[in-house]
Amino acid sequence: MASAIVLVAVIAGAPFVLNEGFLRLATECLLLLTMAQMWNLLAGYAGLVSLGHQVFIAFGAYALFLTSGWLEVTPIWVLPVAPLVAAAVAAIIAFPLFRLRDAYFSIAMWVFAEIIGAFTMKSQAVGGTSGVPLATSKLIDFDWFEPTMFWLAGGLTLVTIAALYKMMTSSFGLGLMSVRDNDLAAMSVGVDVRHNRFIAFVLSAAGCGLAGALSFMGNLFIAPLAAFDVNWSVYMMFIVIIGGIGTLEGPILGVFIFFGLRELMTGPLGLSGGWYLVGLGIIAVVVMIVAPRGIWPALRDRLGVRLLDVHRAAPRPAVAAIPPTTSERVTG
Amino acid sequence: MIWVETLINGALLGGLYGLLGIGLALVFGVMRVVNIAHGEFMVLSAFCAVLLSNLFPQVSPLLMLIPVIALSFAVGWLYQALIVNRVVTSPDPLSPLLLTFGVSVILRNVMVEIFGADVRSLQVGELSRASLEVAGLNIGIMPLLTLVLAALLFMALQLVLRHTEFGRIVRATADRRDIVRLSGVKPDRVYNYVMGLSLALGAIGGVLLAVRSSFTPFSGAERLLIAFEVVVLGGLGSFWGALLGGIALGMAQLIGLKIDPNAGLLYAHLLFFIMLLIRPSGLVSSRV
Repeated sequence: MASAIVLVAVIAGAPFVLNEGFLRLATECLLLLTMAQMWNLLAGYAGLVSLGHQVFIAFGAYALFLTSGWLEVTPIWVLPVAPLVAAAVAAIIAFPLFRLRDAYFSIAMWVFAEIIGAFTMKSQAVGGTSGVPLATSKLIDFDWFEPTMFWLAGGLTLVTIAALYKMMTSSFGLGLMSVRDNDLAAMSVGVDVRHNRFIAFVLSAAGCGLAGALSFMGNLFIAPLAAFDVNWSVYMMFIVIIGGIGTLEGPILGVFIFFGLRELMTGPLGLSGGWYLVGLGIIAVVVMIVAPRGIWPALRDRLGVRLLDVHRAAPRPAVAAIPPTTSERVTG
Repeated sequence: MIWVETLINGALLGGLYGLLGIGLALVFGVMRVVNIAHGEFMVLSAFCAVLLSNLFPQVSPLLMLIPVIALSFAVGWLYQALIVNRVVTSPDPLSPLLLTFGVSVILRNVMVEIFGADVRSLQVGELSRASLEVAGLNIGIMPLLTLVLAALLFMALQLVLRHTEFGRIVRATADRRDIVRLSGVKPDRVYNYVMGLSLALGAIGGVLLAVRSSFTPFSGAERLLIAFEVVVLGGLGSFWGALLGGIALGMAQLIGLKIDPNAGLLYAHLLFFIMLLIRPSGLVSSRV
C-alpha cells in the first residue's frame, strides 16, 4: 500500500521535474508497458500468442480520432470509446479464431490484422493510406498536453498492473493459469476454459485499444502503416519474452531493457533502428534458449526476491502432520 | 474470355503458392513447428539469387537456382541444428513459435540494413515476357513452367517420403520421436535434414516469386502468410492439398486484382478467413 502511494506521488510529480523530451519518452515507456502487460495477459496467462494485436491498437486509436472528430469534443473525454470498440471487435472475432490453437491462432490473428489494415487503407472515410490528423487538436490545451498525457499513461499503467495483480490472485486468475498449465486437468476440475480465454482476450484487446489511442493521441496524427504495423506485436512480444512471460514483474524489467537498449544503440552508438531491432531480437532469441521463462523468473529464483508474486504456497501435505516415527526422532 | 484467362493465370500462380506452402507444411508435419521465419528465408534466397546474377550477368538467373538451393539447404541445416532443435522438444508449444518469430525479426532487419529497403526484382529477360496463344487465351510461359515444376517437385517429394529409406525415417520420426531412437535414429539429425529440405523448397518458391514480382526485405511477412494459408486451406499432411490450396488462393488474388487493381493480397486473405468460418473442421490443428 505504501509503495502504491509512493508510485502515485512519483507519477504526479514527475512532469514538474522532467524536461519535455524525457517526459515524452517516459509516456512512451508507460504505454508500451501497458500494451506488453496486455499481451502477457493473453500469452503468459491464457496461453494464446497473438501476432495481430496491432489491430486492437489501431481500432482503439481510430475510434478515438473519429469519434472526437464527429462529436467535436476534446479527445480526452472520448477516451472510453477506444477500449470499448477494441473489446467489441475482440468479442466478435473470438468466435472464428478460438477454433484454432497455438500457431494457427497466432497467424490467423495476423491475417485478420492484415485484412483490416488493407480495408482501412482503401477507405477514404478514415483517411485512406495518408491517414488523418486529430480534428479536435485545437481544443487541446497545449501548455498541459505533455503532462496530461504522462499522467494518463502513468495512471493507466498503475491501474493495469493493480488490476492484473488482483485478477491473478482471484479465482478467475487461478482458473486462467490452470488452463495454461494443463487444460485437460483444468477442465476436469470444472474450469470453463473457453470462457476464461474469452475474457482474457477481450480484456487484453480493450487495454491495447486504450493504450493505442493514447499513443496516437500524443502524435496528433494517425496513418494505417503506423497503426497496423506488425512491429507493435514485435515490441510487446520482445518485452514480455525478455523480461519474463507469465509474470507481472517481467514486462516491467523488459521495458527497461527495451528502452535502455534503444537509447544506447540509437544514441551514443549511433546505430539505425534496424540494427536496434536486430540487437533486441538476438537478446530475445538468446533468452528463449538459455532461460525460456525470461530474465525475471531466473533472477527471482537466484535472489529470492518477491515483488508482485501471485504464486501460492501449496497446502502442506497431510503427511507432515503425522508425528515422526521413533527412528526419525532418534536420528533427528 | 478475360475471366477465363484470369482463372487460368490464377491457377498458374497457385502452383507457385503451393511451393511456398510445402516447405512450411513439411516442417510442421515432421516436428510440429510453424517456422515463422520461413518467409524471411525465402526473401533471403531471392537476395542471394540477385547478388549472384549481378556477379555473373552472362549466366541465366534461373541457373542461379542451383547454388541458391544448395546454400538454402545448408542454412536450413544449421538453423535447425543451432537454434530450433533447442526448443523443439520444449513442453510449451509456444516456445518454437516465439523463437522462430524472433529469428524472423532479426533476419528482416539484417536484410534491411545490408541490402536497403529498395524494391528489387530478378530479371530473366525474354522468358518472362514470352507467352503462348491457346484458343485465344494468352498464357505466360514462365508461369506455366512454374506450375509444371511445382507439380514435379510435389511428386518427387511424395515419392521420396513414401518409398525411400530417408522417407521412412522421416515419417517414423514424425510419428514417434522417442521410439525411433530405439532403431538408432537421431531425431535431431533427421530434423536438420528436414529443415534443410524445407528451406531448399522455400528457396525455389522465393526465387521464382522474385522473377514474377518485385520484393523488398519486408516481403517475408506476406510470403509467410500465403504459405500458411496454403497449408491450412489444403489441409495438413496432404501435399496435393497444398497445391489445391495454392491454386484457390492464386485465383482469389487475381480475381481480386481484376476487380480492384491495388487490392494486393486482400482477397486471398479474405478467402482464407471465409474458409475459416465455414469449414473449421478441416482447419483445426491436430495436437500431439
